[in-house]
Amino acid sequence: MKPRLLAVFFTMLLISTGCMDDDALWEREQSGQTASSEGVFIINQGNFMYDNASLSYYDPESRDLINDVFFKTNGLPLGDVAQSMTIRDSLAYIVINNSGRVYVMNRYTFEYYGKITGLTAPRYMHFVSDTKAYISDLYGKSITIVNPDKLEITGSIDVRNQHTDFYQHATEQMVQYGKYVFVNCWSFDNTILVIDSETDEWVDTIEVMIQPQSMVMDATGSIWTLTDGGFPGSPYGHEAPGLIRIDLADREISNVYQPGAYDSPRHLAINGTGDTLYFINRHVYRFAVFSEDGPGIWLESPYQATHPGGYYSIGVDPQSSDVYLGDALDMVQPGIVYRFSPDGSPLDTLRTGIIPGDFCFVQ
Amino acid sequence: MRGQRLMPLIALLMPLCAAASGMTDSIFVLPATEVRANTLFSKEDAGMQQTLIDSLVLRNKLNQSLSDLLSENTPVFIKSHGRGALATASFRGTAPSHTTVSWNGIPVNSPMAGMVDFSLIPVYIIDDIQLKHGTASVAERSGGLGGSIGISNRADWNEGFSAEYIQGTGSFSTFDHYLRATVGTGKWQYRARGYRNISENDYPFINKSIGHVENGQMIHPVDTNKHAAYSRSGTLQELYVRPGTTHLISAKYWGQWAERSIPQVTSYEGPDDANRNRQEDTDHRIVADWSHYMDHGRLLVRSGFAQKEINYALKNQVSGAGFIPAIYSESKTQSHVNHVSYTYETNGRFSMDAALDINHHRVSTADTVNNTGYEKQRTEQSAMLAAHYTFAGKINVKALLRQDRVDGRFAPFVPFLGADIRLSDEHPLILKANVARNYHQPTLNDLYWQPGGNPDLLPEMGFSVEAGLHHQKEINHTMVNTGITAYRSDIDNWIIWIPSFKGYWEPRNIKKVLSKGLEIDAAIKSRLGPVSVRGNGSYAYTRALNHGDPLVWGDESRGKQLVYIPLHSGNFMVHLAYRNVGFTWQHNTYSERFTTTSNDVSRRNRLYPYFMNNITLSGDFAFRRLELTAKLKVFNLFDESYRSELYRPMPGRNYLVTLKAGI
Repeated sequence: MKPRLLAVFFTMLLISTGCMDDDALWEREQSGQTASSEGVFIINQGNFMYDNASLSYYDPESRDLINDVFFKTNGLPLGDVAQSMTIRDSLAYIVINNSGRVYVMNRYTFEYYGKITGLTAPRYMHFVSDTKAYISDLYGKSITIVNPDKLEITGSIDVRNQHTDFYQHATEQMVQYGKYVFVNCWSFDNTILVIDSETDEWVDTIEVMIQPQSMVMDATGSIWTLTDGGFPGSPYGHEAPGLIRIDLADREISNVYQPGAYDSPRHLAINGTGDTLYFINRHVYRFAVFSEDGPGIWLESPYQATHPGGYYSIGVDPQSSDVYLGDALDMVQPGIVYRFSPDGSPLDTLRTGIIPGDFCFVQ
Repeated sequence: MRGQRLMPLIALLMPLCAAASGMTDSIFVLPATEVRANTLFSKEDAGMQQTLIDSLVLRNKLNQSLSDLLSENTPVFIKSHGRGALATASFRGTAPSHTTVSWNGIPVNSPMAGMVDFSLIPVYIIDDIQLKHGTASVAERSGGLGGSIGISNRADWNEGFSAEYIQGTGSFSTFDHYLRATVGTGKWQYRARGYRNISENDYPFINKSIGHVENGQMIHPVDTNKHAAYSRSGTLQELYVRPGTTHLISAKYWGQWAERSIPQVTSYEGPDDANRNRQEDTDHRIVADWSHYMDHGRLLVRSGFAQKEINYALKNQVSGAGFIPAIYSESKTQSHVNHVSYTYETNGRFSMDAALDINHHRVSTADTVNNTGYEKQRTEQSAMLAAHYTFAGKINVKALLRQDRVDGRFAPFVPFLGADIRLSDEHPLILKANVARNYHQPTLNDLYWQPGGNPDLLPEMGFSVEAGLHHQKEINHTMVNTGITAYRSDIDNWIIWIPSFKGYWEPRNIKKVLSKGLEIDAAIKSRLGPVSVRGNGSYAYTRALNHGDPLVWGDESRGKQLVYIPLHSGNFMVHLAYRNVGFTWQHNTYSERFTTTSNDVSRRNRLYPYFMNNITLSGDFAFRRLELTAKLKVFNLFDESYRSELYRPMPGRNYLVTLKAGI
């Protein structure tokens, strides 16, 4: 081989080595938009371990959608598995499960305000007062008490039980009635814990059916919880799922709907007037809380009967009672959110971030 | 039904082939020394695209993992989850379980998950490595829709006694030790290897997933790759005996103990003593071979056993309860492998291979925290018959039939037809082409995982065609080898795990994948005055498209490139040697990779093109019988900031110094 040829070869190789453009990952186009007086945040979970959670904002009046609004505004990725969001006054608190933190932003401008860190596996945030909030936790076996004003952890509520066969008391959603906060425990569990928000102590346990997956409170002050019944072959047991009403005055189960056809109902939601429940069981079911009849199919799943997929998430606008349904598709592409009027008419279709998992309405 | 009839026919033919071995010929004699087969124009390999890794590459990457070697020196794409972490292969755009891997003829693929973690296979234990591209893999066994990788060991009958010790010290508290001793005569050889690799793996990076505001500016901290340490210890023992000129007996054992932690996501801001994990992989593999060389044939009888245990724990510090596991998963697989084959050859123009395999797998997996898991067994039988013919030394033809039975049920029939055509006598230009069908059985996790396992899954079916041109020529003392292969593979019933409305994932046979592409390779060997020059390079164009029906309206994955598969990938290695000093430059490149099935083009959801450069400087010294080699390796030469997965930063420029002493 001639030396000249070799020199040309090496020069070409040097040119071809190039540089990797890591900084391009962080480039952003600032939206410059702000939130309207009424709207909905769509919390896109992203993929576990990929740090690609994102936040979308939708204005139902103008039908404008801004995707990835937190990153575009702040240049900071949201994190890994965004779980839920709670709004208090002008601030929005976004719970990011696998990042162990809560990001706080201005709900109007989307600007970063601060963060609460040091959380094990946070799921949902519930405000007891302006200076006290609870954060439930998947693995911590405790509810974290924080001061949302100072963005500090101030304590924790121990919810460990003596059951060693399963990792129990993974705390989930919270609703408050008087001074008591009710927390459902889903994974390999069958309980709703009762927390005294004045003493910050776990004071009572309501046993329901297998795996209470979600929970809401209706206009009468009753809690409704949806149990998914576990899965076939589960060592914790498998039973038909149920829709359970709990009268908060005596904490007794007062009404159970357990139709066998519901093989895995999930994601209980309630409208703004607190009288109509919605949940997903492949299709979307609706149920008037004062009705004598059981829940019925309100909207059919767009998936073929042979496919196991269905809607992934649901949110009901407390003002308009419009229903937002998230479809995560295969969970590895941007998802879709459908907006329906309360009479089931399609109103809009939105392409959001990856796995639209929860909704938070601005009122 | 046709397959059911063929199985007894193949079984019947095997003893007939054995009986025919009485005819006289002198083709099958035990080789005095190992000769590496020239597979370019051999009737037994007609139509098969194969790659043998250069021994120079094996020596240069001795202290690295097979994942590094494959990504840097072959067209196989490796998806690495980070330094020392899980690394899986995609061969010709297929899934990790579609690349079959064997060690001295026994399968390495887990019957539980199907795939192989190439980061756990040290190059140090490999003497030979052979890639069979696409359906060429059916010569070994079915299931390799992308191809197969065979790693093997062999005796060096020239050695009496030799020993070597290699010590490596590198960045991020990385330490390597390798020890090898060989003893033997012309009748027997025994070799023992031991190794230990440990690394704290605590490289620094600017963490852009975490920020805080200072004076109105977003500040990102300099972070450390925490809780990412790994260690790997192992031994390989080999015994070879040749009691006469017609028998070769060998026994080999490979044991390995590996531990590692997977770092928390870079955005993690929880307590340091939460979300901590640890994985332990323990492997034992043992195999014994008996080869009997006869006048007209060779009989091979092989039996082996493999056991793999994986323990994975995710723990959190719980106030008042200590460090308790949220996940504690224990998996164990045991495989008994048996193989008998007979190769029959007559007059150099015709040969036949017949083989029978009977393998049994036992799997148990359990999460001791929530008591989920399963225990299952699987028995696999496979019969293969292949005929090879050469026409006037210009055309080779290979026809192969394979029929498997899995748990008593006949699996899809696997036929292969390949041919080589020597296009010119003056220019050694060879056309290789094949057409074949292959299938891949669902893994035991696909069938029985709790929750979600689907016992009704069908095998994944592949049909492929390929053709390539290969050229080898010496021009002015420069040896040049080049090859180009085009292929197309249609895979139906592709299994993917999809989310169900029940809240967990289920595997379904819903995807169809069309994988088509080009593979180009070139090698050059020359001299520039006193400097010897060697170069190897390969390029792959891989179009792996999802052709399945959309899941539902709005599913935009149809017609799109599969996630993490680069359209273009390439690599080259240049090695210069002058007297006792050597210089090696290794480069590899991938084009952008999508992380979403819809090929979302936003920067957040795709990985930018990858360019990586490593160099090695080496010097050899001799002191009487003692031979010393010193090497300096520089990884990520240009100190690039990059990531292997989304938000998984990789180390900047780093170094490794190795010293080898041998007698």
